[in-house]
Amino acid sequence: MVESYRSKEHIKICTHCILPETFPGITFNESGVCNHCQREASLKTGGTERKAEYRRELDKLIDNVKGSAPAYDAIIAYSGGKDSSYTLMLLRKLYGLRIVAFTFDNHFLSPLAKKNIETVTTALHVDHINFMPQWPLMQSIFATAARKEVFSKAALLRASSICTSCISMVKSLVLKTAVEMDIPLVAFGWSPGQAPIQASIMKTNASMVRENQKILKKIFFDHIGTATQSYFIPDAYYELYEDRFPHNIHPLAFFDYNEDKISQELEEIGWNAPTDTDSNSTNCLLNAFANQRHLEQYGYHPYVLEIANMVRQGVMSREKGIRKIYTAQDNEMVAYAREKLGRFA
Amino acid sequence: MSYLETIRKYVIENFLFGDDSQLEEDTSFLESGIIDSTGILELIEFIEGTYHMRIDDEELIPENLDSIRNVVEFLERKLSKEITTEESARQS
Repeated sequence: MVESYRSKEHIKICTHCILPETFPGITFNESGVCNHCQREASLKTGGTERKAEYRRELDKLIDNVKGSAPAYDAIIAYSGGKDSSYTLMLLRKLYGLRIVAFTFDNHFLSPLAKKNIETVTTALHVDHINFMPQWPLMQSIFATAARKEVFSKAALLRASSICTSCISMVKSLVLKTAVEMDIPLVAFGWSPGQAPIQASIMKTNASMVRENQKILKKIFFDHIGTATQSYFIPDAYYELYEDRFPHNIHPLAFFDYNEDKISQELEEIGWNAPTDTDSNSTNCLLNAFANQRHLEQYGYHPYVLEIANMVRQGVMSREKGIRKIYTAQDNEMVAYAREKLGRFA
Repeated sequence: MSYLETIRKYVIENFLFGDDSQLEEDTSFLESGIIDSTGILELIEFIEGTYHMRIDDEELIPENLDSIRNVVEFLERKLSKEITTEESARQS
């Protein structure tokens, strides 16, 4: 049992991971272990050997593509946060890839994250694109996501509506840029808990991308209008550039993942953990507000699935996971974002 | 349990939390919002773990994964092909 972040009442959480009784579809056995943990145990999906297999697959993929593309071997969705900084460092130092880092500046990047972006890209000699949409558009998108149920319940299990709106644009823009510039690898700094290991090396499929984009466009256009149209992949690209659809990679799924060790290694190249963000972000000043809204609307923390996955995989202690999830959001950070978004949020 | 029963049960338990009122065999997971793009990856993980198989990159298409019927037909094709390949290997 832990103290609820909404009130002083106690809520039941899984005795193995940290998922709460308020998480949709959760059940517990007589030992208090949740159905997610029970399923993971029965599938036997993890393991050192499996990670080594993926590591070899990445080595082979990089051997095949390195140096072959006209400008860059990889583009990375780069927030300046811990995980994407570490991924960038791995790909640059370990593999010597030619990389362009792509930052989506959503107007809530912390000043310290911006400094980290400059420091890290300079230290690693990496080109950098900073893409900043106009504020009225971002304000409209975030305020709408805060107010309405814009995304499916399935998406909301994994991230807040606000975060999902932002990352949807990031993923689309990074992919579109990769296709336009003929870059064979698109890298993300997903933590081991954010996406399954199966997706850690995956060739994007034009028809699957098209289907996903169709759904996203409908969501954005229905709620916001067509101002984001240029952020999506034009229909013509699916045939014109079918052979350019890249591989997505997120190496943190199978490299050793230890938050303290990662922070230490990043500090050696000048990265510093921001002190102006909440405990679940190392770059975004909107995160605390996004978490708070999600908690209020759905009764569970939007990061709980990711952190529970990491606890289950043994890359984070249960105690640390509980601290990250069951600590109340910083009121000042919540108020800052709420005020900036204005009366519509 | 048949492929149909197994896949249906997985989707209902993990994405619909027991409520199957909106799930037909031909319901598009993505279009209906039952499963999002990351959920499809979890579905792949489930399929690969349950049936001890690997889904190749070029097989990751909506026609193979975006409804219960699509998944079942894909499994029937792929797994019967793998059995046939194994039998041929044993005979030769």
